[in-house]
Amino acid sequence: MSYTLRGRIESRLAALLPVVAAACVLAAAEHRWWPVEAAGLMLGIALALDLQAYHRLLPYQPGWAALPLGLLELALLVGLMRASGVAAPLWQALALFGGGWLVAQILGHAGFPLLRLGYAEDGGELGRLGTLSAVFVGVTLAAAGGTAYALLPPVVHLAAGVHQGPLVITHREVLVGEPGAVVRGGIVVRASGVTIRNVSVVGGDNGIDVEGVRNTVLDGVSVSGARLNGILVRLGGVMIKNCTVDMLGNEIGKGINISYTMDMGMTMVDGCTVVGGMEGITTHSSMTEIAHNQVSRTRVRGISMTEMSMGMITDNEVRGANGVGIFCNDRSVCGVQHNTVVDTRSDAASGNRSAAGFGVLVSFQSEADLWDNQLAANPVPMGAVTDSLIRKNH
Amino acid sequence: MSRIALVGSGLASFTAYQTLRRGGLEPEEIAVFGTEADPAAQWRRRAAAIRQREMRSESDGHCLPTSFPGLAVRTALRRRSPAPLVASVLDRYHPTVDEFLAQVERLRARSGWDRSVRSARIERVRAAEGGFELDGHGVFRHVLLAPGHPGLNVPEKLRGDPRAVHAYEPHEYAPTVTVVGAGLAAATEWLNALAAGAEVVSVRRREPARRPLNVPREYFSRRGLSGFHRLGAEERAARLRTLLAPSYPPGRAFDEPLARAAHEGRFRVEDAVNGTRQVICATGFRRGFRHDPLLESLVAEHALETAGDWIVLAPDATVAALTDGTRTLALAGVPAQWAFPAADTLAGAKYVAHAFLRKVEACPTR
Repeated sequence: MSYTLRGRIESRLAALLPVVAAACVLAAAEHRWWPVEAAGLMLGIALALDLQAYHRLLPYQPGWAALPLGLLELALLVGLMRASGVAAPLWQALALFGGGWLVAQILGHAGFPLLRLGYAEDGGELGRLGTLSAVFVGVTLAAAGGTAYALLPPVVHLAAGVHQGPLVITHREVLVGEPGAVVRGGIVVRASGVTIRNVSVVGGDNGIDVEGVRNTVLDGVSVSGARLNGILVRLGGVMIKNCTVDMLGNEIGKGINISYTMDMGMTMVDGCTVVGGMEGITTHSSMTEIAHNQVSRTRVRGISMTEMSMGMITDNEVRGANGVGIFCNDRSVCGVQHNTVVDTRSDAASGNRSAAGFGVLVSFQSEADLWDNQLAANPVPMGAVTDSLIRKNH
Repeated sequence: MSRIALVGSGLASFTAYQTLRRGGLEPEEIAVFGTEADPAAQWRRRAAAIRQREMRSESDGHCLPTSFPGLAVRTALRRRSPAPLVASVLDRYHPTVDEFLAQVERLRARSGWDRSVRSARIERVRAAEGGFELDGHGVFRHVLLAPGHPGLNVPEKLRGDPRAVHAYEPHEYAPTVTVVGAGLAAATEWLNALAAGAEVVSVRRREPARRPLNVPREYFSRRGLSGFHRLGAEERAARLRTLLAPSYPPGRAFDEPLARAAHEGRFRVEDAVNGTRQVICATGFRRGFRHDPLLESLVAEHALETAGDWIVLAPDATVAALTDGTRTLALAGVPAQWAFPAADTLAGAKYVAHAFLRKVEACPTR
């Protein structure tokens, strides 16, 4: 096919119609914007390549060229999605692109020629259909973009200085702490879609309390002096990253406590530093990924996954736990990978035999798969008790 | 009553007929004037003469109005094999002559073509009120002239030479053969004569171009045609002469047997016809409207604009001076090269047919 520039663009836009429609349906079904963002990026990449490269370099485009050009566009799409932070499930994004590519081939080879007698000799130009396609794609993406913008949560800036809490958040918002912003007495999140960024919390029963809400993001928060939990998540969906929790001197409190979130999808704790407390990071009946954290000087356990929890414990560093470094307990299923557990101390003297200084302990009908963990200076490197199982993969 | 006339009953006319039928016209609304009811008769004879087995055209080289489904799709379905489709995607699919002719037969049977054919040779077309008067057969509002090539071209020096035969006339091969020409027919004849055991001399004025289709691919779409249509008359005539220079497809199918024969001393290129026992003139057809009595009289009687060998046409292959909102006179096949350089191909026939249908549809009274 020898496309004219107009024909190339019109054919492209008309072939994108079903993709844009599918993206809108998918976005509505998933309550997420990534399909529309991906469709927008696909359109941008396509138009840029059509205008800047294909039209000049390909006076004639053989049928087979669709495959390498499609792969090039896919690579650019994936790269741009990563660069622009479009969080799309990989396989769904690939399916959206692949489906769009296939539809474009079918339309280009069969649909458009049947629809318009002179499609080939007109260089891919579609006449009124081309104009309508451009309008539809443009309007749909603009409307989606406008809707997304309108739905963005308001950003609330917390000024530097001490703010007396507890601070209760009841509306979707992004709370951003200015340098030196401190909330004394804790933050309570009671709305879905809340993001808290760069806020320090001092005191409170729970430093940050997230209960019964979805899509919470805690990014760069710092908690100290909480009485029960540094961060407590119950029946909620949350992503916690780059946090600091200081529970030193608190022998009964927990650094990060995630409980009963199984129905809320995957929860993540990534890149946090937790010191002190009875347990550093603990999950109950939750599906959690615990990765890239540093947990130290806990009075009983460093990281604990228990009460029928499932998840991955990956690339963490656990130091100086008094009893157990990593604990997989009570019918839980744990993947334990690339962690470093050192200097665990035995607390057997207290009468608790399960606190005998295990690097990794799997207990009460639980299963753990271990890959490439560094377990050093622990009185007992690992152990499985009460009908539990450890599978060492390396 | 017929308001639409197709003058000529060859493949260009047949393609236009299929397009008009697709546009909703009934056989009774279309009159086809020609001397043979079989639209492929002339083409079949020529293909048989040069023993052509495969088309130069690709999957869309058929007489249907749309490019899809092409012959590759039909062949794939019939053979239950994706191979033709893969070959088509790689631009390596060329339907066989038999497949093409079978398709023509099927279309002829189902389109009502024979009901529209009137056995008559039209030798004069004259503008009249409400359309065009066709040699005493009445006035037609929309007329497409597809008279075909105006006869075989035999170089002057070889006329009357008892050794000479045109490639498109039935012939066998002598032990020594000179093939004059450098296009696809010449290349096919080199291989035919070599396969028949002959020693072959190729006589040509210039090295043939090697390209898959008759003209570069961009000239099959608006991409190349827009610039072509913007050229002035002299430039366009010069461009046409360049584009229509002899060519044949690249590939091993030609190169290997020729290289082998050259190595064996059975194939060589010379400047002039020598003493071989047979001379095959693969020199195509006579060129220009002046060789066609119908077109020559049309130009003379209506003082139509011409440029070199061509009647000047609008980009949609209509004669602008004789076409308006109420009537259409268009040319198809080789005389339409002024609008579409590859007009004597099936793609060219489609191009003209699509434009002709648009004119017919746009006319309030048809």
